[in-house]
Amino acid sequence: MSLTRRQVLAGAAAGALGAAGVYELVDRLTGSGPERAAAGELPPEQHVLDGVRTVTENGVEVLVPPLHHEVVTARVKVAGSSDLGDARRALEQTLASLEEGFPPNPGGLGITLAWGLPYFERLVLAQWRKNAPYDRRAQKAALLPARRFTSDPATTILEENEVAVLLRSDSLDNLAAAAHELFQQLDVFEPTSIRRGFAGGGFDGGKSLPKRMATAAGVPGADLIPDESELFLGFTSTQAQGLGPRRIANLETLGYVDLPTPYFREGTHMHLSHLGEQLDAWYQLFDFRDRVDTMFRPGLRVASGTRTVRQAPKDVATATDVVRGYHRDGTIGHSAAIQTASRLAADHVADDGTVYAKGTAVPQRADFNTLDNPFFWSASPERDGMRDEPAAGVHFVVFNPTSDDFDRVRRAMDGELPDGTRLEFPVDNSRQGINSVLTTTHRQNFLVPPRRNRSFPLADV
Amino acid sequence: MRDRASLIGASLAAVGAALVLAACGGAGAANPPQPDLALGCPTQWRAGWQKLASDVHAPVYCPRWMPNPLDGRIGGEWNGLRILDKHGGYLVSFIYQETGSGEVHVNFHRFPGTAMPLCRKELSKQMIPCYSDPHGTVRANGIVATFYTVSRDADQWHLSYLWRHDGATYVVSEHVAPPYTFKQVQLNLTRLLRSLVLVQPS
Repeated sequence: MSLTRRQVLAGAAAGALGAAGVYELVDRLTGSGPERAAAGELPPEQHVLDGVRTVTENGVEVLVPPLHHEVVTARVKVAGSSDLGDARRALEQTLASLEEGFPPNPGGLGITLAWGLPYFERLVLAQWRKNAPYDRRAQKAALLPARRFTSDPATTILEENEVAVLLRSDSLDNLAAAAHELFQQLDVFEPTSIRRGFAGGGFDGGKSLPKRMATAAGVPGADLIPDESELFLGFTSTQAQGLGPRRIANLETLGYVDLPTPYFREGTHMHLSHLGEQLDAWYQLFDFRDRVDTMFRPGLRVASGTRTVRQAPKDVATATDVVRGYHRDGTIGHSAAIQTASRLAADHVADDGTVYAKGTAVPQRADFNTLDNPFFWSASPERDGMRDEPAAGVHFVVFNPTSDDFDRVRRAMDGELPDGTRLEFPVDNSRQGINSVLTTTHRQNFLVPPRRNRSFPLADV
Repeated sequence: MRDRASLIGASLAAVGAALVLAACGGAGAANPPQPDLALGCPTQWRAGWQKLASDVHAPVYCPRWMPNPLDGRIGGEWNGLRILDKHGGYLVSFIYQETGSGEVHVNFHRFPGTAMPLCRKELSKQMIPCYSDPHGTVRANGIVATFYTVSRDADQWHLSYLWRHDGATYVVSEHVAPPYTFKQVQLNLTRLLRSLVLVQPS
């Protein structure tokens, strides 16, 4: 009996979902996860993960991210809109069952389903036209096809997946159980890629997971990652005041978006990308002072070896600060540049009356380090440039209210500030600090519906 | 005669064996083979280092051991640069480079004075320390050397040991590149540092 290509791919994906690969090391390195607070009711937002523990590092409140992460991208197997209703019910039943089995916190399981433009346009086009969120600030759709940015190489692949499922947990077993239920037991998705990774693990002392994993994998530069570093690049990214508060990234909260109907209210936007990180260059060509200048802003006073650098609203850089630094030093700091777009420029009263102070962060990051090169598994290995040897990188997952809001932040990283200022850099990024050690391989934007409409959104309309 | 790739392979195997011994806490870890410093600079290498000392009118450090496949003969097969300045400074480099099997590159410096040498920051006129991100010190043969993981200019991508002697600053560095890993380069450099013998100008 011969297998069709689709059957072969499906079989390969099933095998990959069950395999641990290089991440087998994680089991030996982590044991059980940290103590976690219990979470209460499920929030209406899918992207909000409750029960996240906070610790204080260097006087800064830090959120402890889940240790393990997995993103599975897929194409919807359903051929036409007539089957969508059944698929919707089956998927929702599986999701509800997983939520019954695992508490919705890092100790249990976080599940977020994000849907790509190809899903809305192929399967629910008429409903999409009536319900699609519109970014009134940008005068564009809230969900845009991904684009390449100035510092992206021409080889960056702009993906067209129909769905991405983000799974987060301190337990690899929980991730595996969820992946098994969603992609093997349920027959509604055809996986296109599997992406895995980790973060943190060093908050209670000892070596962090990124340090141990990179060292065990023999990644160049791994020996120089600080022992307790949350991420490969040596600094803490999940400090509470550096991440958007609970509802701020919702489509409706900041008033950027017109919602023709309430269908997507309490939903958000997700950007997913993969970036290779050249750790040996980061640690051998940049000394600690350079790394602080590059990651935060030139001249920022920080004690040697500091991992957590306060990024509270009062520390936020303005466009004027960034431009002044550029003219003085010829370079810009990563955080300072993006803060010109990622932080509120003025106090903001949200739709529910909540006041968000000037300088409050909007994006909610959910990125994690990886040794995928660039993915753990791909249905199109040649197109995706799959390599066997592990490589340091980050699967960048971030929730912003709209595609344009993400674009503004990402453009600021390249020196294109929201006020129209454009700071010029050499094509090779050599003066652009962090960009010189990052290479983006893939990008895509997704819409994250609210929890109540997470399963095949608009199929019920 | 063995080819270069097999020479490097044999060397890496030896380093691997040393690491295993170290991990096991074996006798080899406690007492790694040490060059006999009483023998001084190796006979075949001595002339070059003696001439260097005479040319700079200052003591120089001659290695009794070099990472495979290099040797320490100035003017020999692996010697790349031999640059002297008017103030008694020098850069002597040894390099093996071959597509496919990698690069082994060791630099020896002397800088006049005991201040941290300064290098021009890339794409800038600003002068910054040539060596930064110190990671501890090693004592060997009367040398107290600081280990730096960020090196600039001719030592870019190198790990470096820097120490002071007789009013001058000395550095020995090695490029982190295949076939050697970071840890192997660190071991190489430490072994090299322990092998150094002082050659006085004649």
